[in-house]
Amino acid sequence: MRILRFTVNGDLVEIGANDSETLLEALRDRLGLTGTKRGCDLGACGACTVLLDGRPILSCLLPVWRVQGRVVTTIEGLAEGPKLHLLQEAFHMAGAVQCGFCTPGMILSAKAYLDTNLNPAQGDIREALAGNLCRCTGYVKVVEAVKLAATWMRDTTEREAAR
Amino acid sequence: MRRFKHFDASSLDEAVSLLARFEGRAKVIAGGTDIVGTLKDSVLPEPYEALVNIKTIPGLEGIRNGAGVLKIGALTRLEDIAHNETVQTKYAALAQAARVVATPHIREMGTIAGNICQNTRCWYYRCAHNRFHCVRKGHAAPGQSLECFASDGDNRYHSIFGDVKDCLAVNPSDTIPALIALGATLKTTKRSIAVKDIFPPSDEPTKMTIIDSDEIVIEVEIPEPQASSRSAYHKVAIRKSIDFPIVNCAAVVDFEGDVVKDCHICLNAVHYKPYVPERAEALLEGEPLTDEQAATAGEAAVWGAKPLPMNSYKITMAKGLVKKILIACREAG
Ligand code: FES
Ligand code: FES
Repeated sequence: MRILRFTVNGDLVEIGANDSETLLEALRDRLGLTGTKRGCDLGACGACTVLLDGRPILSCLLPVWRVQGRVVTTIEGLAEGPKLHLLQEAFHMAGAVQCGFCTPGMILSAKAYLDTNLNPAQGDIREALAGNLCRCTGYVKVVEAVKLAATWMRDTTEREAAR
Repeated sequence: MRRFKHFDASSLDEAVSLLARFEGRAKVIAGGTDIVGTLKDSVLPEPYEALVNIKTIPGLEGIRNGAGVLKIGALTRLEDIAHNETVQTKYAALAQAARVVATPHIREMGTIAGNICQNTRCWYYRCAHNRFHCVRKGHAAPGQSLECFASDGDNRYHSIFGDVKDCLAVNPSDTIPALIALGATLKTTKRSIAVKDIFPPSDEPTKMTIIDSDEIVIEVEIPEPQASSRSAYHKVAIRKSIDFPIVNCAAVVDFEGDVVKDCHICLNAVHYKPYVPERAEALLEGEPLTDEQAATAGEAAVWGAKPLPMNSYKITMAKGLVKKILIACREAG
């Protein structure tokens, strides 16, 4: 076991980890951040999506040593205290959550995409979420939720710009 | 997951000496999307003892457009290749191929060199816990004879050009057909070699490439195509995202008016290595590229195919795909 440092949701953390451990295991089992889900554990479902330096990656395929000194965002890092992130709010509002297992990954993939484009076409959203499988919703409401969140986020940015 | 040691290499020299020290029992890791899966599932009879991370080596990432040649660093992520403007305009087949690899997440992690060097997806070979100790894995126990489980099993995704030393697995890379059609070269720590030449001879099918266990890919170089040429790529898979190709194909066609001056076609997922249908290329050259010509080239491309009991559909697919890609090149102008 060796000592590893990285930033999770704004906090600098220091953990002991084995060489052959994945980021997913470290997040869930060492840091208690169980919002990141273990689905296939093989890179096929997207349930374990987290943001690494802002980009969506699969934590089940990433040896934890690869995040040394880097910035990880998990679903727990999106809300500010009791105030949900607009994407979380929109998923709630649009009814885009059923069992919820895919939701953390969906929201983080959507966030990474909306951070680069707040004016997404339907096809852009579908493509950004192409790595996240959902067994419940049929995706329609998920895409609607992301569109709704994009509208809200655009409004917020415009309001802030006007101030 | 089987335990391994994880080293962060800070230079190519360090990485090479680590790999050499483990004498084949260590493997390079870059994006990790292929190797981590293999280790997790304990696919191999003798799993790697160590991974040497080369992402920590500076200077191996990025796309540089030089004098008549595009240089893509080995660690350049597939997502960056797919969205690079130069690649999209001058090397369209490569941008199209990179864009349909797996999922956005895997393209964020996976690198071009990893996509070139990736292992086969044969479902017997990849079955967890080395459940099918097949001919490709080698190392027979005394008195044991190794076989290819696909030959009598479910071979719907396997080779249509026959076995190689009994193995029917195919090369699943999306980017390789585009790179071969575009005439790309690999620069490694040991040599400079055309991508089409990195595959083992047919008497050594257990390796995906001839790149040594202590050799590291540094860069991919692609000569700038003629201004009068056009390229295209397409992949047939079950779903639009995630899945590996059932058949894929890239072509680069150089035109003089309507007439084909020069033409390079490459199919993949049809044989143990990428398949260049030379007959099809030859019959196209010097003729106008009509729809009929494209269809004839499709027929010629699968000349000599030997389907397995479950995969003759792949022959039909490959034919149609070659035709489609050639027409796409014609229309791209
Ligand atoms: S758990 Fe990582 S992709 Fe499914
Ligand atoms: S809501 Fe159940 S998997 Fe998506």
